[in-house]
Amino acid sequence: MTTESQKPGVWKSGTGRGRRTPKGRQVTETALTEIQTLLGNKPRRRDLLIEYLHLIQDQYNHLSADHLRALAEEMKLSQAEIYEVATFYAHFDVVREDETPPPELTIRVCDSLSCELAGAQALLTALQAEHKGGSVRVVRAPCMGRCDTAPTVELGHYHADHATPEKIASAIKAKQTHAVIPEYQSLAAYQKSGGYIGLKAMRDGRKTPDQVQDTINESGLRGLGGAGFPAGRKWSFVRAEKGPRYVAVNGDEGEPGTFKDRYYLEREPHRFLDGLLIAAWAVEAERAYIYMRDEYPAVLHILAAEIKALETEGLVEPGYIELRRGAGAYICGEESAMIESLEGKRGLPRHRPPYVAQVGLFNSPTLVHNVETLYWIAMVVAEGPKVLNSTELNGRVGLRSYSVSGRVKEPGVKLLAAGSTITDVIKASGGMLDGHTFKAYQPGGPSSGILPATMNDIPLDFDTLQPQGTFIGSAAVVVLSDQDSAKDAALNMLRFFEDESCGQCTPCRVGCEKAVKLMDAPTWNTKLLEDLCQTMSDASICGLGQAAPNPIRLVIEHFPHEVGKEISS
Amino acid sequence: MSDTVTFTLDGKSVTAKTDETLWEISKREGTRLPHLCHADSPGYLPDGNCRACMVEIDGERTLAASCIRTASEGMVVNTQSIRAVTSRKVVIELLMADQPERSDAHDKSSHMWSIASEQGVDSSRFPTKEKEIVPLLDNSHVAMSVNLDACIHCNLCVRACRDVQVNDVIGMSGRGKNARITFDMADPMGASTCVACGECVQACPTGALMPSTVVDGQQKGDSLDFDKEVKSVCPYCGVGCQLSFKVKDEKILWVDGVNGPSNEQRLCVKGRFGFDYIAHPHRLQKPLIRRDDAPAKGLNVDPSNLGEVFREATWDEALDTAAGGFKALKDRDGGESVAGFGSAKCSNEEAYLFQKFIRTGFGHNNVDHCTRLCHASSVAALLENVGSGAVTATFNEIENSDCAIVIGANPVENHPVAATYFKQFVKRGGTLIVMDPRGMGLARHAKFSLKFNPGADVAMLNAIMYTIMNEKLYDEEYIATFTEGWDEFKGHLSNFTPERMAEHCGIDANTLKAVARAFATAKAGMIFWGMGVSQHIHGTDNSRCLISLALMCGHVGKSGAGLHPLRGQNNVQGASDAGLVPMFLPDYQSVTDDGVRSAFNDIWGTDDFSSQKGLTVVEIMDAIHDDKIKGMYIMGENPAMSDPDVEHARDAIAKLQHLVVQDIFLTETANYADVILPAAAWPEKTGTVTNTNRQVQMGRPAVSPPGEACEDWLITVQLANRMGLDWKYQHPKEVFAEMKLSMKSLDNITWERLLDKAVTYPSLTPTDPGQPIVFTDGFPRQGGRAKFTPANIVAPDDKPDSEYPMILITGRQLEHWHTGSMTRRATVLDSLEPEANCSLHPRTLRDLGVEAGDTIKLSTRRGSIEVMARSDRAVSEGQVFMPFAYVEAAANVLTNSALDPVGKIPEFKFSAVRIEKTANV
Repeated sequence: MTTESQKPGVWKSGTGRGRRTPKGRQVTETALTEIQTLLGNKPRRRDLLIEYLHLIQDQYNHLSADHLRALAEEMKLSQAEIYEVATFYAHFDVVREDETPPPELTIRVCDSLSCELAGAQALLTALQAEHKGGSVRVVRAPCMGRCDTAPTVELGHYHADHATPEKIASAIKAKQTHAVIPEYQSLAAYQKSGGYIGLKAMRDGRKTPDQVQDTINESGLRGLGGAGFPAGRKWSFVRAEKGPRYVAVNGDEGEPGTFKDRYYLEREPHRFLDGLLIAAWAVEAERAYIYMRDEYPAVLHILAAEIKALETEGLVEPGYIELRRGAGAYICGEESAMIESLEGKRGLPRHRPPYVAQVGLFNSPTLVHNVETLYWIAMVVAEGPKVLNSTELNGRVGLRSYSVSGRVKEPGVKLLAAGSTITDVIKASGGMLDGHTFKAYQPGGPSSGILPATMNDIPLDFDTLQPQGTFIGSAAVVVLSDQDSAKDAALNMLRFFEDESCGQCTPCRVGCEKAVKLMDAPTWNTKLLEDLCQTMSDASICGLGQAAPNPIRLVIEHFPHEVGKEISS
Repeated sequence: MSDTVTFTLDGKSVTAKTDETLWEISKREGTRLPHLCHADSPGYLPDGNCRACMVEIDGERTLAASCIRTASEGMVVNTQSIRAVTSRKVVIELLMADQPERSDAHDKSSHMWSIASEQGVDSSRFPTKEKEIVPLLDNSHVAMSVNLDACIHCNLCVRACRDVQVNDVIGMSGRGKNARITFDMADPMGASTCVACGECVQACPTGALMPSTVVDGQQKGDSLDFDKEVKSVCPYCGVGCQLSFKVKDEKILWVDGVNGPSNEQRLCVKGRFGFDYIAHPHRLQKPLIRRDDAPAKGLNVDPSNLGEVFREATWDEALDTAAGGFKALKDRDGGESVAGFGSAKCSNEEAYLFQKFIRTGFGHNNVDHCTRLCHASSVAALLENVGSGAVTATFNEIENSDCAIVIGANPVENHPVAATYFKQFVKRGGTLIVMDPRGMGLARHAKFSLKFNPGADVAMLNAIMYTIMNEKLYDEEYIATFTEGWDEFKGHLSNFTPERMAEHCGIDANTLKAVARAFATAKAGMIFWGMGVSQHIHGTDNSRCLISLALMCGHVGKSGAGLHPLRGQNNVQGASDAGLVPMFLPDYQSVTDDGVRSAFNDIWGTDDFSSQKGLTVVEIMDAIHDDKIKGMYIMGENPAMSDPDVEHARDAIAKLQHLVVQDIFLTETANYADVILPAAAWPEKTGTVTNTNRQVQMGRPAVSPPGEACEDWLITVQLANRMGLDWKYQHPKEVFAEMKLSMKSLDNITWERLLDKAVTYPSLTPTDPGQPIVFTDGFPRQGGRAKFTPANIVAPDDKPDSEYPMILITGRQLEHWHTGSMTRRATVLDSLEPEANCSLHPRTLRDLGVEAGDTIKLSTRRGSIEVMARSDRAVSEGQVFMPFAYVEAAANVLTNSALDPVGKIPEFKFSAVRIEKTANV
């Protein structure tokens, strides 16, 4: 060896400039151990991602970047795949290294229409002032499905009805942060009343799926999530496709003003589960999924317990029903977005065609039913089609569970004839509050917009409202009085859509945001708003963006003086 | 079901395929509908999110996005209805509301602006969004500028990163108006796991993502501001990506991928951002001659200040001196005293001329190149057992596979664009089996990731084959029809039960069996391998096992099946094909065959040359030490960095009496030169190259060489003429034409065809684009049968002991090519990996008491170096990985020059090593 050749050459090494690790955030041993402990031997399946994010959020009260990095390692996912899901859902608090974790207690104040009418803004302001910089975080939140007891505030998982700052203060003091589980019908009681008998008969081969389907068709039952598709016909579409097939229950009752699903689940969970198992049997589903919104902690508790009870009783194979927990995203009430979420992804609606009955969960044919629809399936199987089709009013057949809130004396779920008008609904709700005169109403959630009191003779049913540029949807009726502004109500609705738009398509993502700005003006630029409304309804991917203009258009049409537009003759 | 439909489009009856979208149909019917989120580009599926391409369909409540909607029978589609036109305009207007002014645009010629102009939208009636939610500039990355204020959420960058390149760094996080493009967990791009493939930049329609070289200090830019565009091939790895140089003022401003057969527009960080090396001040611009008063030869020349050692010369003087030195040696000591190393980085024509120069100028076969250091053993095994050294199927064939093994290769770093196809294969549901002592980037995508003990390839593969044999999962019919030696091979395998091999290879028996079943029961399986397989003293045996594994499963010669050693250098396939190896003339025709030599002598008009196989790379170094070789002509190779036990090699090079180095930079090897001939870099040259897929492609000059630098082929011609060879080539195409005379592989492939597009060899007719799969009906061996050659376990040469207890594995890393001569002079690449480094598991570091970032000393039986330690969980405990690109800590000081007996490849992948904290820790 010559001495010269031992010189290391003349290149100047970038000493100290090189990375000490491979690129990007590295997994730490501590976080990895914590995540491995938390997940135990649960399968590292992608579709369970949101469940695992819940596990971490529940345990640590937030999702640290460190934990998410470890979760990515454990699930063989990239950081981006985890992060984009975690940040899509409102109930996850992602905390990066440079951020401060949220306080232990979060108070969510509902600011959707019914709560807003009941003074949510003042409540929110008061609570925020009281807890400024303290150990409690106060945030706004969309509808929690307790509109009949507005305003609603959630502390941890405890819901305070008719909330006041005083009530909240004492709940904090009492550390009341857990969901109150209501009394409900047990499995034994349901079985005693004849529950699951029909199901057993089907499973024993005493009935064919066609027979059951015919019974359902005969009852006239239509999908009660809002779209109103005939329930039985949906079965035949799914049955026509090659398996494996799935059933997915849409329990993401997020349409503001709606609380009927919660109403039934907190009272008769087994009638719903019975309906679910009947539907799953009918389409020979490999597995059934219940996607339940996270805003209903009591329901989640009840369902988990009662599914376990069914498994113990041998009425269902362990694991056949998977209960999945939403995470705060209205859009997941859209069936294809819900399916995306069930797969552990962001809740972005899919393009149609294909329909979920053909290509749904895990790209397999999927029967998606609303909670109440399944409730009625069980009811029809038990009582026969007449339970629905024997009621007739104003030329409409069947029953409708109206979720009624707003300026009425006795808000709540009202099971009325499907042909009921707003007059009937208000009457069933004890009439208008004292000192309030009926002015307007939301017939079926903010997607349905606002109608004036003068339109009080229309049956609030499927197909009857379309000529008025609206629809019944989930039958979430909010009654407004002379003390309320239709314009403000519409703005409240659009703010809600702006917050809840998934952001996938331009007309909805940008459109909602621009609409809110345009609607916030004292006088509306109705020409521009109409161009916007037309494009949103024509070009949005899903119903959210397509229906979001309804409040705008109906206010321009029926309450022009509120938006600075002269009434044209 | 019929696969076409007839429907009405804008009043006209149109027939279309059922999978054709309305957008595509409209385009072919003459109406290009506006499109923002739809790239209309290979690899990008339409997404339908921007809603700029809406059309009206009779009977439908809403409009439909034409880019994702297919036609159905009888459908009536109107693209020009008022509703559709209005909707498209309002969508553009909504997006324009939040765009920066065109005068401030990050790309004033962006696709977005041109679509807006076409729609007649130049402003927006809508209010702008809140300032607080407008993302700020992210200029954390050296190569790309991120200005998400121009982002329209089209998701193309997400698809670029996730669907096309499958790097999974970019995501759309948040929701609604707060949704935004993020890297990893909303990290600055430069701090994220981004590998800077730049696919997102190429896909972005707004200028929100731009190459940093295209925007100014105010982040303003213009993607059409170039003088010319030149289509060529990437000079880095064997994937052979086609690219387009955007040239302005004789400088390459930026690079886009184009639709070549192997890359379909994709590039990696090197191919996209690694070209300013050609304008580096270190470029050799004039011929140089060692000064009479130069200091002793050594690694002692500063490339930015050569004057003490070299003096500038005219071409005539330099060429005369170079040739004169060779002639003197030849006259005094015979032709055998001069050897040559050509390069796998030069063109086919240059490789061909180089071997011809050595063979005809000096009468022997002592000519080799770096293939010896990469796949020599693979080629040996392939020639032995299937009769051909090239891949049996292109890597893109994985599209048709359902199971693939990647062993001893780290394609995400070394063949990044090939790796994108492997990752896409997994996304489509393919079963990926990764086998490597290091858990590298592909492992996250693998169903089975086998981190086996270094050097235990044969044990592991034999155990897998044992299972296939034992469980009768082999393809009996294929074996009977297309192979020989099966019965003997079965007997051989019987000793290798998974249970017995498990401890040896470090993989439990059940995993070995599961992998065996997965591969054997696949409909079509492929095997890819790299230098982790070849660079062992049992490298040929390793490859023999892989060949046997594929043969017994019938996974050769059909769609989705095949053997594919991933070739390293951009033209290592072509240079080997062209005869730049000591045992073969062009097209692997043996030098020992008198008939073959005679045929070449006829073509060349020369006297016969040696019938002896020549010496290989490492053997030539030894022959210098033994005073048998005294002069060398080295074109574009850097043995003073790349050879194993490199101090030994450097001593040899220093000992040469006459060394002529032809290169673009003063490489470590050129430090020792007597004459240095300045060559043109790849983007300055004309010539063909052949990639790992056997695809022959045309390289074109984008800029002129600096100073007096000259294309390699022309320099070789001048030298040849000074050696009295009387060559008359005026253009590389004449060389190509001559090559065709002796190379059947080039049948039907002409220079003119290559000017048009790439051709894969073999090409069966003058119009056949070439055969991606070969050996569909037999092998180029006697009887048309491939052969099973048994392989036994051979222990690595350099065994760990108490003095050298750990194992050193060398290799490459994404940003640095080979010995770093180009990449360390490329601004982006050097800035991404500026410092010599080695990687160890964090627990190993902890046991050593070393912090990540500290300097450690690595010592082997050959030598020691000091280098920064990187903490990397992918490296197994007790092992250390080190890239060999850094001269200041040259990994090859440590490596072992022990050779595989057949392939003559050194054992780069296994050295016993000792690691110590250095004093300054």
